[in-house]
Amino acid sequence: MATVEVKNLRKQYRNVVALDGVSLEARAGQMVTLLGPSGCGKSTTLRCLAGFLEPDGGDVRIDGESILSIPSNRRGFGVVFQNYALFPHMTVAENVGYGLKLRKCAKSEIHARVVEVLRLVRLTGLEDRLPREISGGQQQRVALARALVLKPRLLLLDEPLANLDARLRDEVRWLVRDLQQQSGITAFYVTHDQSEAMAISDMVAVMKAGRVAQFASPREIYQRPAERYVANFTGEANILTCRTAVPAGETRMRVGVGGADLEVDCAPAARTAGDVELLLRPEALRLAGPDDTAAFRGIVTKCAFLGASQHCEIELPDGNILKLAAPPNARVVPGESAGVVIDCTHAWAMPKVPA
Amino acid sequence: MRRAARLQLLLGLPAVALIFVFMILPITNMVEMSFRTPGVTEPFGNDYTLMHYGRVLGDPYYWGALGRSLLVATTVTVLCLIVSYPVAWHLSKADGLKMVILYALIASPLMTGVLVRNFGWMIIAALNGPLNQSLLGLGLIDRPLRLLFTQGLVVLALVHVFMPFMVLPINNAIRNISPSLVEAAASMGASRSATFRDIVLPLSFPGIQAGVTLVFVLAIAAYVTPALLGGQMVTYMPTQIIAELTGTFRWPLGSTLAIGLSLTTLLVVAVFTLATWRLLDRVRA
Ligand SMILES: Nc1ncnc2c1ncn2[C@@H]1O[C@H](COP(=O)(O)OP(=O)(O)OP(=O)(O)O)[C@@H](O)[C@H]1O
Ligand SMILES: [Mg+2]
Repeated sequence: MATVEVKNLRKQYRNVVALDGVSLEARAGQMVTLLGPSGCGKSTTLRCLAGFLEPDGGDVRIDGESILSIPSNRRGFGVVFQNYALFPHMTVAENVGYGLKLRKCAKSEIHARVVEVLRLVRLTGLEDRLPREISGGQQQRVALARALVLKPRLLLLDEPLANLDARLRDEVRWLVRDLQQQSGITAFYVTHDQSEAMAISDMVAVMKAGRVAQFASPREIYQRPAERYVANFTGEANILTCRTAVPAGETRMRVGVGGADLEVDCAPAARTAGDVELLLRPEALRLAGPDDTAAFRGIVTKCAFLGASQHCEIELPDGNILKLAAPPNARVVPGESAGVVIDCTHAWAMPKVPA
Repeated sequence: MRRAARLQLLLGLPAVALIFVFMILPITNMVEMSFRTPGVTEPFGNDYTLMHYGRVLGDPYYWGALGRSLLVATTVTVLCLIVSYPVAWHLSKADGLKMVILYALIASPLMTGVLVRNFGWMIIAALNGPLNQSLLGLGLIDRPLRLLFTQGLVVLALVHVFMPFMVLPINNAIRNISPSLVEAAASMGASRSATFRDIVLPLSFPGIQAGVTLVFVLAIAAYVTPALLGGQMVTYMPTQIIAELTGTFRWPLGSTLAIGLSLTTLLVVAVFTLATWRLLDRVRA
């Protein structure tokens, strides 16, 4: 168990600023996810932690001590790579046992620990296969076993599931989470899949062009995003610019959108911001029934049946489009007019930040 | 026949024709020649005999030439591997302009004609040549060394010219090793030397094998360099073969020697390949 503090990390490649002051922290046993689009600096951050890259500035501390001067082979971290990086000329058992062999463990101990960890990742019986003789999902689990067998202080995973198909991804994702929690290893996990990030992490850092846009729990990131960028990246989002916005109480604001005037929770920075945007997740909206007073009226432009629900898009007179989920059997006809009701407890006001 | 299959055959035809005309035909011809009786006024007679094989196998003079050729080729191959590996490693890590310059430097031995290159060596290694002059000047020796017409010089010159054939395949093999493997090894606690020993060296073996085979085959068949720099006192297989073919005009005997050299080369390469089969099979991608 280790606490990790990343402070103001900077890294520049020739003319690209890859990291522009990244700060994060992981408490002991936490799983922290770095989430963001391609090129935002997730891998670069992880590689600085692993010691494969030397940052230009900032610090990485484990349990209070800076590790930047320690070479990667003495950091004692487990790393799982997107392309697995299994040694192609070593069998599964040799791959997993390689780190133990370097530590001069006795043959019998190596064998026992390899067998044990392969049982944990459910690969018993594949010990003598070469990496090219097992499937992608199995290779990924070998990579995981290889990192775990050394009981690392910190586990670093760079898009470990990116090359797996959807079903396997689901299976291995839970395996990763279970093993991480059982062993209590602090972990950093890189992904650009928001559902993956939400599902398995204690904390999520949403990254934007070399910076951390928001660092918070999955619930917070989803329900109380700091800005439009975070909201868009963490799930379906309807974002409307507010006509008026005045603070109302400690953490609340009155905002005017469309034909409605609502009192909603808000991000602290929204209270002093020039322009305010209102986030309405699909679950904050529902189609108005006969007795409801609709906050918005618009024309249904799209309706897709998804099984458990229907995905609808409604175009408002001002051109904005609202996406929402309707009950599976509700009558929604494209081209007809429909009313939308807002559930204010799921609405969220945030400052408008220039992109 | 399917169109694709016909097209494949058509595309393969030039290569097949080339191999047939320039390889199968001459070899068949040479094998036939080795069974001919010696000629009296012609280079060969009209009847067939096994006498040349008996003669070659029974004569220690030819065994000596073959032994020297094997020794020189093996030495050249081993030295070439030792000097080429670090060069290949640096080349594989280079990019941009540095890479282009390194490639040019490494290929440079092949850019001079074989005669010019060997005359260059003769000048450098002469009694009063620049090499002896510098050694004398540095006070490392008090009398000029006899370097020309020694086996050492032959080996040196062959290592020099065959280096590209060792460097390039090894460079290729190292480039094919994913950098994340090296990082993975480091994250598991491997020092640089352990990473080299356990990961880089085994995974670069396909390049080593290609380089070793190429250099050995080229070195054992080299003619001009041993002929010019090795002097008249010692013979190697290729110089002996040429002597029989163009000096004494005993074509059947020369052919028999050539076949002996080819079979020996084939045998060495086959043994080397078989001995390293397991390793190669593991590291093949
Ligand atoms: N070796 C390099 N040389 C130059 N620029 C680089 C190098 N590696 C990364 N970059 C740049 O640094 C930025 C961050 O890259 P990084 O690999 O950290 O992105 P990422 O968030 O991991 O993206 P992805 O999801 O595509 O893996 C990118 O703009 C990238 O082009
Ligand atoms: Mg990446």
